This record gives sequence, structure tokens and C-alpha cells, in this order.
Amino acid sequence: MTVPAHHPAPERLLDYAAGSLHEVQALLVASHLAYCPACRAQVAEMEACGGVLLEDLPPEPVSDALFGALMTRLGEAAASPPPAPAPSSGGLFPGPLRRAIGAEPEALDWVRVVPGVHLSTWAIGAGTASACLLRMAPRARVPAHRHTDSEMLLVMTGGFSDEFGAYRVGDVASYDTGTPHHAVADADGECLCLLVQDRPLVFTGPLGWLLNRGFRF
Amino acid sequence: MLPKADPNDPTMPDHEQLLLAVARDRDPAAFRALFDHFAPRIKAYVRRLGADSSAAEELVQDVMMAVWLRADRFDPSLASAATWIYTIARNRRIDRVRQERRPELQPGDFVPDAGEELPPDHRFEAAETAFRLRTVIGSLPPEQADVLRLAYYEDKVHAEISAERGIPLGTVKTRLRLALVRLRRAFGEGE
Repeated sequence: MTVPAHHPAPERLLDYAAGSLHEVQALLVASHLAYCPACRAQVAEMEACGGVLLEDLPPEPVSDALFGALMTRLGEAAASPPPAPAPSSGGLFPGPLRRAIGAEPEALDWVRVVPGVHLSTWAIGAGTASACLLRMAPRARVPAHRHTDSEMLLVMTGGFSDEFGAYRVGDVASYDTGTPHHAVADADGECLCLLVQDRPLVFTGPLGWLLNRGFRF
Repeated sequence: MLPKADPNDPTMPDHEQLLLAVARDRDPAAFRALFDHFAPRIKAYVRRLGADSSAAEELVQDVMMAVWLRADRFDPSLASAATWIYTIARNRRIDRVRQERRPELQPGDFVPDAGEELPPDHRFEAAETAFRLRTVIGSLPPEQADVLRLAYYEDKVHAEISAERGIPLGTVKTRLRLALVRLRRAFGEGE
């Protein structure tokens, strides 16, 4: 396979490295990193930035007893062996997603949306965001839909195309709220994606009611 | 897996050396020195992110425990001591304060044959890079430094920074991207 050509936006990688990205979107970013050496390198740089910022914070003294309490806990921890690491290689899902789902695709249940297009009954939600899996048969079309949510797709098997590009394994497609797109699965096999949706921010200012009704300046 | 770098290398800055001593010898004095330096900074970091003083000290304990238990995974050719400890503190805070599980990439997760591994210019000498990085961060224009600090210290994704500060989303993105371009220069060997 080749290196991914479509990546999460740089500010999204920064949100991930800074730790502010929420769990559901972070799952998609971490899963993309499994495929993408270039984004791994970028995240490593952003984490180095976090290291520098940590060093430069004005220190806050800790209580005198803290070190002693820590050493006591370490003495207790030494008695119990560390948990065995979960097997990490193999399987169709990238590691972070496999650990989140706890199962391989064949063990999952699916709901048909339209002929050739299925969503997994496995889903996670946190805050305004949710994730599930999307499965498309060869040449299947996802019906045109209006987004009230922003959408991200990570391709894990096969590929699909829409008016913005062609997406292969490891690629991330991002769509802002209100962007119509018409995805068609590649002809040469099934396409399996991780789908993440997020509701746009609710504006709460004095003009919030106006903005929330879709008016834009 | 033992660190590949030579821990007796006199050019290796202190904190990296201390971590390697913890990994190799389970050296309690080295661990104490790391604690004295990093515990107050980890506390400051999680306090900024909203933890109260006692929750912050709980987290400091968690992080420093992980430092002791996992010191053998520290590789000074990949990250400085501060960067490595930062990633532990970040993940622990998410797990405990935000009550979420951070989806983390593990070394065994890399999909094989997905192109070449890190290009050579990313195999940086981590501690030296941190020095250059500090200079770059210090010289960022205030509005770029501001969005960067909000991202790291206030648990705000860029869309939230935009909504809360009343800065258009596009402007926040532009500032972050400009800051990132400058930061990247600290990693390239040339200018």
C-alpha cells in the first residue's frame, strides 16, 4: 500500500497533540496515524512543543508529603506484575480502533441504510460527537444527504470517490457542515470506513438564535 | 528495550540522563531529582487545565509513577525527557479529569509498508531541538502564541477557541497554521 494522500487538517493534529481533541475525533486521528508516517512525525513535533511549554510553566510547589506517598504507592505497585500488553498487530482495524471496539468486523452487526450501504450497530458517542463504521459494497452510492453535522471518514479497506477527491486506505476525508457530497465506492471491492460526525458549535451570544437558524454574516 | 543512546555521553542534558539512570539502575536519587523538577510543573499544568490542588497532586503521583514504571520505554532519540513526561501527563489528565479514554497509538500499531518510516530530518536530537523550539515559541507574534497556549493549556479545540474568544474560525486556523510553520523550522536542520 502507499502513503495516505489525504490527512486531517494540521489544526486538528494540533488539537490531538495538545490533548484538547475529544475522544471520538481523537479515535479517528489516532487511527489515521497508524497508517501515516508523515502525520506521526508532525504529531511528534507538536508534542515536543508541549514538552517545552511544560518546562516553561511557572512551577507550583507540591506538598512535602507527596514524594513519600508516591514511594509508598510504588512499593505496593512493585508487588503486582504489570498487565500484559494487548496484542497489537494483525486484524483489519488499526490498533486504536480495535481497542475501542474490542472486536473484528466479522463479529459486528450492521444496519442497512440503502442497498449496498450499511452502518455498524457499534457506535460511540461523547459530547456532541459520535462514531460508527460505514460499509459500502462495490460501486455503492451513499445517497446525497444534507449535513447538519461536520463529518470525517477514515478509509480502512477499499476506497471511494466524491466531487472532492479519491480516497484510499489510510486517507481522511473531512466535510464541513452543510457541504453536500456524493460518495461512490470503488468498483474493485468493498469499502470500510470509520465515520465520525459532530454537531456544530451552538452559538450562545446575543445573536445566537439568529446564527443557529443558519444566518451567516 | 533499553535506550540506544549512551547514558555516559557528557553532552546529554541532565533530565534525559536521569531518566536513563532510572531505567537502567532504578536509581532512587535520579528519580528524586526528576520528581523535584517535574512534579511542580505537572501540577501547574493540570491546575491550568482546571484540576483543584488535591486532584492535581493525585495526578502528579500517577504521572510520576508511570515515569518510574515505564522509564525503560524512554528513547532520547525520539523525545526529550520533558516531551515524554508531557505526553504521559496529557494522557493521564484526559483519563482522570475528563473521564475519557484517550485513544493512543502504540508502536505495534504502525501499518507495515505504509511508505517509509520517518524521513531523516525528523530523527531529531530531541533535547537540542527543544532548545531551538523554545526560542521559536518565545519569538512568536502574541496572537499566535495566544492560540497555541489556549490549545495546550485550556483544553480548547480550535473551534472552541474561536467561539469563546469571538475570533472567526478561519482566523484561529490561520494563526495556528502560521505558528506551526514557524515551529517546524526548529526541526529542520537548515532554516
